[in-house]
Amino acid sequence: MIRYSLRRLILLLTTLWLLTVLMFVLHQLFPGDTLTNMSGIRFSDGAAYQLAQQRYAMSHSWFSQYGQFLQALLHGDWGQSLVTQRAVFTDIMPQLGATLELTVLTMSLSMLVGVPLGMYAAVQQRGPLDRLIMGVSLSAYSVPAFWLAQLALLLFAVKLGWAPISGQLNPLFNITPHSGSVLLDILLSDSPNRGAAFIDALQHLWLPVVVLTIIPLTLLIRITRNATLDVLQQNYIRAARSRGLSDRRIMVKHVMPNAMQVVVRQLGMQFSLLMSNIIIIETIFNWPGIGSSLIKSIYERDYPVMLGGLFTLAALILLVDVAVELYHAWRYPQVRKELYADR
Amino acid sequence: MNVLDIRNLTIEIDSDNGPIRLVDGLSLQIAEGEIHTLVGESGSGKSLLAKAILGFINPRWRVTADRLWWRHYDLLALTAEQRRSITGRDMAMIFQNPSSYLDPNSSIGEQLQECIPTDDLKGFYFRRRAELKTRAERLLHRVGIKDHDTVMRAYPFELSDGVAQKVSIAMAIAHNPKLLIADEPTNAMEPQTRGQIYRLLSKLNASQGMSVLMITQDLSAIMPESKRISMVYCGQLMEVGTPQQLLEQPLHPYTEAMRSMSLTNHQTAAKTRLPTLTGSIPTMANLPIGCRLGPRCQYARRACIETPRLRKQKQHQFACHYPLIEVNNYD
Repeated sequence: MIRYSLRRLILLLTTLWLLTVLMFVLHQLFPGDTLTNMSGIRFSDGAAYQLAQQRYAMSHSWFSQYGQFLQALLHGDWGQSLVTQRAVFTDIMPQLGATLELTVLTMSLSMLVGVPLGMYAAVQQRGPLDRLIMGVSLSAYSVPAFWLAQLALLLFAVKLGWAPISGQLNPLFNITPHSGSVLLDILLSDSPNRGAAFIDALQHLWLPVVVLTIIPLTLLIRITRNATLDVLQQNYIRAARSRGLSDRRIMVKHVMPNAMQVVVRQLGMQFSLLMSNIIIIETIFNWPGIGSSLIKSIYERDYPVMLGGLFTLAALILLVDVAVELYHAWRYPQVRKELYADR
Repeated sequence: MNVLDIRNLTIEIDSDNGPIRLVDGLSLQIAEGEIHTLVGESGSGKSLLAKAILGFINPRWRVTADRLWWRHYDLLALTAEQRRSITGRDMAMIFQNPSSYLDPNSSIGEQLQECIPTDDLKGFYFRRRAELKTRAERLLHRVGIKDHDTVMRAYPFELSDGVAQKVSIAMAIAHNPKLLIADEPTNAMEPQTRGQIYRLLSKLNASQGMSVLMITQDLSAIMPESKRISMVYCGQLMEVGTPQQLLEQPLHPYTEAMRSMSLTNHQTAAKTRLPTLTGSIPTMANLPIGCRLGPRCQYARRACIETPRLRKQKQHQFACHYPLIEVNNYD
């Protein structure tokens, strides 16, 4: 397990390093001045530009330039936005918090709902409820997220007024953002209206979370159902039944862990899919996360922000993927055996 | 006294060309404390029979029988739930490829402890757990595993087939079943392990009075302690008798063929043909009518298109119109 973890971590570091190389190359390839793309400082800024030229070793070789770039990146100096002149790193961290808030809630919701539904469908295989669950999940999966989001906004926000149209929190509440995650910020603040603010934040949250949940939820239902059906046919389940164990015990002790082995393995993939959806949903709901800032930076040709956002998202996806793999190998021992032999 | 009494058990499945009888009117009686061996080639329905006894029934099978009694329970009259609780309490089964019958994601110790009945455990949680652990260790010792700590901590994929089979025997005997069904338990094992497992089963049989239904393909590999042998071919019962009766004076041509095929030590001249049964086992979709051995039997005559009745002579039962020795005083 230690060897395996080390291998995964080295792979993670290598991939992250390659990502920085790619970023550096992209800075050279983007239109305009390389230094401006990298640092967000324009030639017209005069003295600051001179300083940045020295900072990024622009008169030296590409290798030293890359070295300086990497150093700046690691020190959290990601340049400044071409539009707002604010430091990219300090802007991105709260955005990451806001995105993570959506992600964590979405993944938890889809796991909490999807796994039991999928298992239930498998137990009721070919029954009316199984058909209903599978039919609804297939049709929900076929609906594009951006269209669904707008329909949901029209129905729940405009027509019914159950949710605000956009944003994280009513600006009346004076909550200073620290982590970017609005729920966390409210809990950490000492505002007298914390309770009301919390409820308001939940009202803002539920619609984007529900819309975002649809895609991973439908996939999770299908994956869980198939995995459970597969496990139910295994000999060890039949043997457990012949030993007179109760259905509930077999479900909880033998079917669920083995089905979850397949489901957990898929979570990493689900996460990258979720990330691409989150960019769209954040834009539609005007959620101040990385996704919406990424789209905005693309419109504004704000290269430092664009690459900062891309790097953060890519690193996040990689981290989650490696974390899922490590958990998977730690929790399900025979996975480790298959890594080296037997396959 | 027979603990298991099966009369005329038939298992059918539906196909495009009408129903197929996988098991055709099998009868089987097992006395208390008896080791009974069921011999048949692969596809002869012997595993189906075992599954039908345990109630591992696929919903697509139609199982009918004149009688399917376990002690004083009529298994066919019970609901699936009741039946499972009785068979789960009184019977156990061990299988051909043991590792696929162990949950890959839980350790041997956990699975073994799950099989041990906990009704008579006393004391608080920790004491009960310690007691359960000792019992699991004792079970492993009984099946001949000395290194209990390593095995209890291991996961099924870490065990060799022999050890996995011993573990599944330990799981099967954890609740002291009255009947153990062993479905080709030593199929993939080297002779040494096979001997160990046979000795273990016969020891359990002798010490606990546990009946054993041993299912095997090979007439030469039957357990020496087995009291009676049933020969099955294509879902039909051919002959039932003691090992002595069957090996020394078989009445059925099928038993005779199996016997001559398995006698490996008899002297044959070089280049002679080895004795075999001509033809091959019919496929499920093309089962012959009447005696299913008919097309392959050198003694078959016109009457063989009728299924022969099971006839009996001094505990020696056979289903053949033309037995090898003319038998007169059967009933």
